Amino acid sequence: MLKLGRHEFANTDLLVMAIVNRTRDSFYDQGATFDEERALDRVRQVVADGADIIDIGGVKAGPGEDVDAAEEVRRTAGFVALVRAEFPDLVISVDTWRSQVGREVCAAGADLLNDAWGGHDPELAEVAAEYDAGLVCTHTGGLAPRTPPHRQEYDDVVADAIDATLKLAEHAVSLGVDRQRVLIDPAHDFGKNTWQSLELTRRLDEMTAAGWPVLVSLSNKDFVGETLDLPIGERLTGTLAATAISAWHGAQVYRVHEVVETRQVLDMVASIKGTRPPARVVRGLA
Amino acid sequence: MIVAAAVCPHPPLLFRELSGLEDAAGDLRNACMAAITSMMSADPGVIVVVGGADTSGEWSPDERFDLTRFGTTQARPSQRSDLPLSLGVAGTLLDESGWMGRRELLAVAWQTPTADLAEAASRLAARPERVGLLVMGEGSARRGTTAPGFIDERAPVFDAALGLALQEGDAVVLRNIDSELADQLMALGRAPFQFLGHAAPDGAAATVLYEDDPFGVMYFVAVWSWRLGDRLA
Repeated sequence: MLKLGRHEFANTDLLVMAIVNRTRDSFYDQGATFDEERALDRVRQVVADGADIIDIGGVKAGPGEDVDAAEEVRRTAGFVALVRAEFPDLVISVDTWRSQVGREVCAAGADLLNDAWGGHDPELAEVAAEYDAGLVCTHTGGLAPRTPPHRQEYDDVVADAIDATLKLAEHAVSLGVDRQRVLIDPAHDFGKNTWQSLELTRRLDEMTAAGWPVLVSLSNKDFVGETLDLPIGERLTGTLAATAISAWHGAQVYRVHEVVETRQVLDMVASIKGTRPPARVVRGLA
Repeated sequence: MIVAAAVCPHPPLLFRELSGLEDAAGDLRNACMAAITSMMSADPGVIVVVGGADTSGEWSPDERFDLTRFGTTQARPSQRSDLPLSLGVAGTLLDESGWMGRRELLAVAWQTPTADLAEAASRLAARPERVGLLVMGEGSARRGTTAPGFIDERAPVFDAALGLALQEGDAVVLRNIDSELADQLMALGRAPFQFLGHAAPDGAAATVLYEDDPFGVMYFVAVWSWRLGDRLA
């Protein structure tokens, strides 16, 4: 059972989390939804496309424009309130590592804090507990926010990801975060080269076996690009292949740019697994 | 005595589980249940199901169709049942219609000669108790390019005659269905419909509740009833 906002999801429900960037420089959309009205249009579109969650971000994941906490709050908190007003039931996540930002967005109506830099600010989990919000516990390999991997080594990257995220999850619960609102994320490409992200995908079943709902963020990332030797903009097929494998291995939440395509892949995999009936079957049964 | 008869088809799609998220045959199932409910209102003491199968014989009324033969995500039961589809669909329709009374399941082989059907039907009609007869049968499966048997231009005429006979309670037409043509048209109702034709008393009040071929197979749902005798007699 996974609780997000007002919703309760069965373990077999596969959820699409649509990315909505309030940034000028995120790698994929390059500021397309920095403008508030365009960001709101994006929310309307992804909701219509079947997104279960939106993930609002105010700071590019990688190095780039300096965004301090006050600016990040300006980009996210008011926008969360706008979205909440228009979509009372939508699960709203905010991608932030800062507790100061977490507090403001939770007050504005956010349901989930996506701590993409894995406990860098230990007070973020306390904010989640205070507002009864959810928390995504992420593996970064110990890197500080917005740091790209450089010669990152692991004895066993999968074991490291499981160990680190479980520690974060248990710690969050000990601080009062509802156990059913905590997810873990191996964080492809965060503190990992392409080999390491591929291995995480290959062995994701080891992570899902740990008993916490797993979020994966695969969408158009460099490990897809390097694997297929394709630039940004041509990585959807590779992303969907990784999505299908992750779904087969039991990941539950998919943070994505392309909602419609992801939804189709997840529905297809769920039907192959036998957790979702096909939409309409008549062939051979008339 | 036969107090009422219902006619239903038996596509696997009548099992709700098989069509997935969308109930592709919901209106057909509703019509079948309405027909059975109407038959039940004639107060039968037993409902006898007659359906086509590879071989003739009686089946236990407790037997249920093994849906996993058609797939689904259900676990295969340890005790597999070979109950024929036609009787399995009938059993489920009776369950869903709330029939709690006695039931008997009689399979008639697809190729049963008309004379044998006539004899079995006469034996049933002669029983003293009030019998509801549930006849499981269909028209042609060769009604279009997407039909299971593609197109046979004779199918519409064949089916129209069947439909008219069911509409008018015309037992004579049912008795005289052309067996060879029915085979060629993949009409699985030939033997059960002939059984009905031979079992039915004269003077049926007949109603057709459904007559359509949404998937290329002709489905009929009908009810025949008789104001026969007095229950107290």
